[in-house]
Amino acid sequence: MKEKPAIQEFIKGLWDENPVLVQLLGLCPTLAVTVSAENGLAMGVAATFVLVCSSFLVSLLRNVIPNQVRIASYIVIIATFVTIADRFLAAYTPEISKSLGPFIPLIIVNCMILGRQEAFASKNKLGRSLLDALGMGAGFTLALLVLSSVREVLGSGTWFGMDIMWASFSTWKVMSLPPGAFLTLGCMIAAANWINRRRQT
Amino acid sequence: MTEKKNDIKETQDPAKTEASAEKQAKKEVPAEKQEKKGASAEKPKAKPKPKKNPRAKLFKSERMTIVAPAPHAKGKQSVPRIMYTVIIALLPAVAASIFFFGTRAMVTLMVAVFSAMVAEFACNKIMKTGVTIDDGSAILTGLLLAMTLPPTFPVAATALGAVIAIVFGKQVFGGLGANIFNPALIGRAFLQASFPVKITTWTLPAFASSSAYFDIATSKAVDTVSGATPLGLWKFEGIGTHLKPLLFGNIGGCIGETSALALLAGGIVLLILKYADWRIPLSYIGTVFLFSGALWLIDPSRYPDPLFMILSGGLILGAFFMATDMVTSPVTPLGTWIYGIGMGVMLVVIRLWGGLPEGVMYSILFMNGLVPLLNRWTRPKYFGEIQEESKKK
Amino acid sequence: MSNSAKIIIVLTVITLFSGGVLALLDNFTAPKIKAHQEEVKNRALRAALPDNDRVQEVTKGDYRFYAAYRGDEMVALAFEASGGGYQSELRLMVGVTPDFSTITGAVILEQVETPGLGTKIQEDPANKENPGWFMGQFTGLRTEPEISYVKNEEPGNDHEVRAITGATISSKAVVNILNEHIKKAEAAWNE
Repeated sequence: MKEKPAIQEFIKGLWDENPVLVQLLGLCPTLAVTVSAENGLAMGVAATFVLVCSSFLVSLLRNVIPNQVRIASYIVIIATFVTIADRFLAAYTPEISKSLGPFIPLIIVNCMILGRQEAFASKNKLGRSLLDALGMGAGFTLALLVLSSVREVLGSGTWFGMDIMWASFSTWKVMSLPPGAFLTLGCMIAAANWINRRRQT
Repeated sequence: MTEKKNDIKETQDPAKTEASAEKQAKKEVPAEKQEKKGASAEKPKAKPKPKKNPRAKLFKSERMTIVAPAPHAKGKQSVPRIMYTVIIALLPAVAASIFFFGTRAMVTLMVAVFSAMVAEFACNKIMKTGVTIDDGSAILTGLLLAMTLPPTFPVAATALGAVIAIVFGKQVFGGLGANIFNPALIGRAFLQASFPVKITTWTLPAFASSSAYFDIATSKAVDTVSGATPLGLWKFEGIGTHLKPLLFGNIGGCIGETSALALLAGGIVLLILKYADWRIPLSYIGTVFLFSGALWLIDPSRYPDPLFMILSGGLILGAFFMATDMVTSPVTPLGTWIYGIGMGVMLVVIRLWGGLPEGVMYSILFMNGLVPLLNRWTRPKYFGEIQEESKKK
Repeated sequence: MSNSAKIIIVLTVITLFSGGVLALLDNFTAPKIKAHQEEVKNRALRAALPDNDRVQEVTKGDYRFYAAYRGDEMVALAFEASGGGYQSELRLMVGVTPDFSTITGAVILEQVETPGLGTKIQEDPANKENPGWFMGQFTGLRTEPEISYVKNEEPGNDHEVRAITGATISSKAVVNILNEHIKKAEAAWNE
C-alpha cells in the first residue's frame, strides 16, 4: 500500500472521517453539553487534549503493550488524562466545569478516543498518530462548535454569551432542551451527506 | 391522512375484490415508492383510469406496493378527495372559531396553511419528488396545526411551526404515507417546547361575557383579554366551567378546540363517509369517560366530572381529526382498539397527574409511535401460518 | 521473559505512572478547588445574611446553621434547604432572623431546571436590570402565616411573592421548600 502524505492524516479528521458527522462517534457529549457555544468549545478542547495525549502515549508504547491487555492499558492511559483535564477545569474554570458536569469524566468512555487508539495510534508511528489525533480532535471540536452555536443562537439568542439576535427575537426554547440537540445534529448530518453526495457526482 | 384509497377501479384479480371491501380498502397503505417488490403483481391494477385528478399518475403506477392484511380491494378514493373532504369537515369548527375569536384567528389559520404549502413545495423541489401541494395534505396539516394554537399566537412562530410540521413531521420520513407521527402535532409539539409561555397565553372570545346567554365561569372576562383554558382553570385554580359554553365554544383556548358541537358535526360526517375509523374516537373518548368517571365517582371533589373531561381541551378535535389520521393509526381493528384505549389512559394520566393541563397532543404522539408495533402484534394470521411456523422450529 | 510476566509488568508500570501523575496534579489543584467551594459558600452566606462581624457554624438536628453575629448579638441564622423542583433537585441557602419570622435573604445554590423557564428562578434574562428579581423578593419576606405566591399581579401582602410566568411549578417549589424547611429548622434550632 502506498503511503499517504502525512498531512492527509490530519485533514481526514476534519471532514472525510469527521468523528461526529461521518463516524457518529462520541455522540453522548455531543448531544448533552452543547447548550452553549462555550460549553461546546470547552468539551471539544478537553476531548482533543485527552485524545492527543493518549494517542501520543499509546503510539509510543505500541510495541511494548501486550495484545491481551491493550484495551485495559488504553483505558488507564485515557482515564489518567481525563482526570487531569477534569481537575484542571475544576480548579481554573469552575463555571465551565460545573456546567459540563459529569460529561468531562465521561470522556473516558468516549468511543471516539478509544476508537482512535485501537484503530490508529496502536498501529502507526508517533508522528502520524499525533496528526491523526489532532485532526480528529479538531473535527470533533468544529462539529461541536457549530452544533452548540446553532443551539445557543436559536435557544438563547446569544453566542458565547453575547446578545446577537434582534430585540424582538423570541428564543426557541426547544433548542436548549435535548430534542434541540437531536434536531440540530440530524440536520448537520443530513447537510454533510448532501454535500458529500454532490461532491461525488 | 394518506393515500389509502386509490383512484383505480376494481379491475384486478376478482378473488381479492370480495368481502369487507369498504372496510379493508381504507387500510391499504402504499409503501415507499422505491420498493419495487411486488411491482409486477400489482401491475394489472395500474390500468390508467380517466384523468380524474392529476395525482393519479403518482399513485397508479407500478412503483406502488400495498401493505395491509388481505383481502384487498380498491375503492374509488384518492388522496386529494380524502384530504379535501376532511378539510370541508373541519370548516364548521373553523367558522365557529373565526366567529368567536375574530380576524386574529383567521390570520393564524391562513398563515399556517400558507406556510405549510410553501414548505411542502420547497421540500418537493429539494428532494426532487413530484410536486404534491395540490393533494390537500399540506393544507390539512396547516389547518390542523393552526387549530391547536391560541388565536393570538405570533405569526412568525405559527409559520415556523407549520414549516417544522411539514419538514420534520412528514418530508424527512419520505413524504405522505411514510411519516410515523401526525405532522401537525409534531409542529405543535415543537412550538410547545419552544414557546411555552406564548402557547399558553389564551384569549377569551371577543364577547365572552357580554351575552348572558353564555354563562362563563371567568368573571374577569369583562375587563381582560387574556384568560385561562377551562382545563387550566381547573388544574391551577380549581375552578370548573359550565358545560354549555364548552359545548358551544365560548371559552378560552386554542382556535379549534373551543366549539365541541362544530367539531362533532364535522367528525360525524367523517365517520359516516368512513374517512375516519369510528373505533378510534369511540375507544379514545370512551376510555376517557370510563377512566375519569371512575375517578370522579371515587372522589368528586378532587377529580373533574367525565363530561367536563371530554368537552374541554382538544379531546374532540384530537379524537376525530388527529388520532384518526390514516397514516399514523393502526390498520387492524384490534390494534385500533388498543390504540384508542392507550390514548385515553395517557390523556387522563397527563391531565390529572401530569405537569401540563392538557395531554391530547402527547397522548396521540405517544400512541402514534406504537402503531407499527400494534400493526405487527395484531396482524391477522393467514390460513396455515401456524403450521408453517412450527415446522420451522 | 514469559508473556504473563510482561503483562503484569507493563500494566503495573502504566498504572504506577498514572497514579503518580494524578497525585502530583492533585497536590496543586485540590487547594484551588477547595478555595473555590469556600468562595461559593461564602458568597451565598453574604447574600443570605445581613451585615455581620463573624459567622459561627453550629450543627443542630439535621441542619448546619451559620449564625451571624454583630458584636455579641446574633442577628440572623442561615441554613441549607433543598427539595424537588420541576425537574431537578433545588438547593437553597436561606437566612432568617433568629426568631424565624422574617427571611433575611435566600439564594439558589444549585438547580438544573428547564433552560429558559425554570432557570428564571435564578436568573431571568428578560429582566436586564435585575435578573435575580425572583429570589430577591424573599429578602424581608414574612414567614407567618406562611409564604405564598400570586400569579400575574403584584403581591399585596408581606408574605407573598410573585411567581414567574411560565415557571409556576419551579416558583411554587421554591416557596414550598422554604415553608417546609423554615418550620423544620426552627424546631431543630429550638430543641
